[in-house]
Amino acid sequence: MAGTGHCPVPAGENILYYIYMFERTKNLKLSVIKQMEIRAAKFPNTISLAQGVPSFDTPKCIKRRVELALRQGVVAKYSLSPGIAELRELIEVKLAEQNMFYDFEKEILVTAGSIEGITATILAITDPGDEVIIPEPTYTSYREVIILAGVTPVYVSLSEDKGWAFELEEYEKAITPRTKAIFYCNPNNPTGTIYSKEQLLGLAELAEKHNLYLISDEVYKDFIFENGQSIFSLAEMPELRRRVIRLFSFSKSYAMTGWRTGYLHSDESIVQEILKVHDCLVTCAPVISQYAAMGALEMGDKDVKFFNHEYEKRRDLICARLDKLSHIFSYVRPESAYYVFPRIIKKDMKLDDYDCPDSFSWRFALHLLEKTQVAVVPGVAFGPSGENHIRISFGRSEKDINCAFDRLDKLFL
Amino acid sequence: MKPFFKTILKYYLKYITRLVLFIHQPKIIAVAGSTNKSFVRDEIKKVLLEKGRTVRANPKNFNTEIGLPLAILGVGSGYGAYYDWLPIIGDAIRAIWRKDFPEYLVLELGVSQRGDMAYLLSIIRPEICVIADITQRYLEAFSGLDQLLQEYEYLVKNTKNSGRVILNYDNLQIRHLAKRAKAEVIYFGRIVPAEEGFRIEDIERTEKGESAGIRYKNLHKKLHIPRFGEHHVYAAAVGVIMQENI
Repeated sequence: MAGTGHCPVPAGENILYYIYMFERTKNLKLSVIKQMEIRAAKFPNTISLAQGVPSFDTPKCIKRRVELALRQGVVAKYSLSPGIAELRELIEVKLAEQNMFYDFEKEILVTAGSIEGITATILAITDPGDEVIIPEPTYTSYREVIILAGVTPVYVSLSEDKGWAFELEEYEKAITPRTKAIFYCNPNNPTGTIYSKEQLLGLAELAEKHNLYLISDEVYKDFIFENGQSIFSLAEMPELRRRVIRLFSFSKSYAMTGWRTGYLHSDESIVQEILKVHDCLVTCAPVISQYAAMGALEMGDKDVKFFNHEYEKRRDLICARLDKLSHIFSYVRPESAYYVFPRIIKKDMKLDDYDCPDSFSWRFALHLLEKTQVAVVPGVAFGPSGENHIRISFGRSEKDINCAFDRLDKLFL
Repeated sequence: MKPFFKTILKYYLKYITRLVLFIHQPKIIAVAGSTNKSFVRDEIKKVLLEKGRTVRANPKNFNTEIGLPLAILGVGSGYGAYYDWLPIIGDAIRAIWRKDFPEYLVLELGVSQRGDMAYLLSIIRPEICVIADITQRYLEAFSGLDQLLQEYEYLVKNTKNSGRVILNYDNLQIRHLAKRAKAEVIYFGRIVPAEEGFRIEDIERTEKGESAGIRYKNLHKKLHIPRFGEHHVYAAAVGVIMQENI
């Protein structure tokens, strides 16, 4: 076999054919989070605080709704492409409770998790060669989806000194004639930041001025740790409904990561275009999961409150444990989600040479994995500003968090 | 929840609810259909409150064999947890002596299999019923649309003779339910002649929601609804019918 740099070429085959293969995928990377999980799987007794998976099982009320649907024999067939009408109606009711008014018939689309919604959105609203601005550090898969669409991700740093807030002047500088959208996660993964109404309205002003879409991924919006704090969404503003595409997933709020279901909403003129892509990608979201989503909206509020309370306790625990390691880490206290994103302030550690990208946060994460069997995600995975940080998930149980930090204490204290 | 406990709970709630309804004698408005029930229910509740009436409507999905009595009694649900049901069972019986029981109950009725409507109507007897919309898309355990329609026929037939049956004229199957009604029938929809029912005209989407006109005989109203979607116009049309009939 001859090598092309991208893939092995069988002897006797035309090498040019292989050079031009995988053009679309050659710049994609397997998510660093998944790479860490694969590496962690090689160590016995690993505690993974890497992947953002809730420790909870899907609530019983949701399972009962699914059992009923299974017994009734209604899950074997496709649903309408935008989703079961009654589910979309429930979503419209839920959105109205949050001051967002969208037509379930034409403006709400049930997706196979938020990532499918993101993919369909990016493919619908951009053309190859366009640019999408992403505040970073942020969720790793945004980059891959944007590149898959032939679009260039343009990173703009969040300000760690200001608690990972937007710096609007940086966005203005990053906007070019090719910019199509600003794509942000609120509350943000991995920093746990909730963007203020003022910051978001500033972003909306920029979008109006430069005729941009705003893609708002709000999958962690049900987790708020400070009393009285609320999450404002630009999708609440009727005058922005032709600019804002808002995404939500049932994965985090209802402990349903495996069900792969979520939704998006925006003005009819946008959603009907996204619907065409959604139909190409998945035809419809898994019908059994749509029934699970109905159960979640009908009966899951109590469980969401319980999860929020538990994550708040875990946030407090993990912050207390990090405080004990203040010579190693500094951090901004997360207000939402279930991640903390500490900066590694002790830089003079002796780290081995690992088979990994040339990055301190990568080598630090692998050092932790090798020495303590605790898996975390190197911060650089979330964008250039994430370098010198690690992401620690507190989606895992208090027992796991304590056990993982006992090991870190042994290493660092 | 074990089927045995569920059956006991179901009948306990049914008979307590019947007793409570007998004592307090509220007027019952039932809203049924496969879609747009919730928005119609909310619109009716809004109109009644504007008229100064006291109203209770079912929250969320409290529209089935267990949920409907809970909604009428004004108590929560224990869902799948036995210990959560204990205080609810006590609260249910206290509804008998409540002084603030509302004048009107606006109740969304959910049916997912044959016989559901008969069971729900063994608990309540509506003064007014509204059939919002019926679609073939959500048949659940029904063998076909005809079987689903039998459920709504049962509701129309069992609405009090002195009451009203309010039907969506635009849906042919719903329109034909009028043949089963013993009470006065009132239609609403886009294609109903203004002499025969509340005709929806000139639906237009604005920056702030939907606008439309409602015409019925000499009545003409312009509506501005701060929501998006034509189904809200249909719900608002039911609201106008309520304004004119209560």
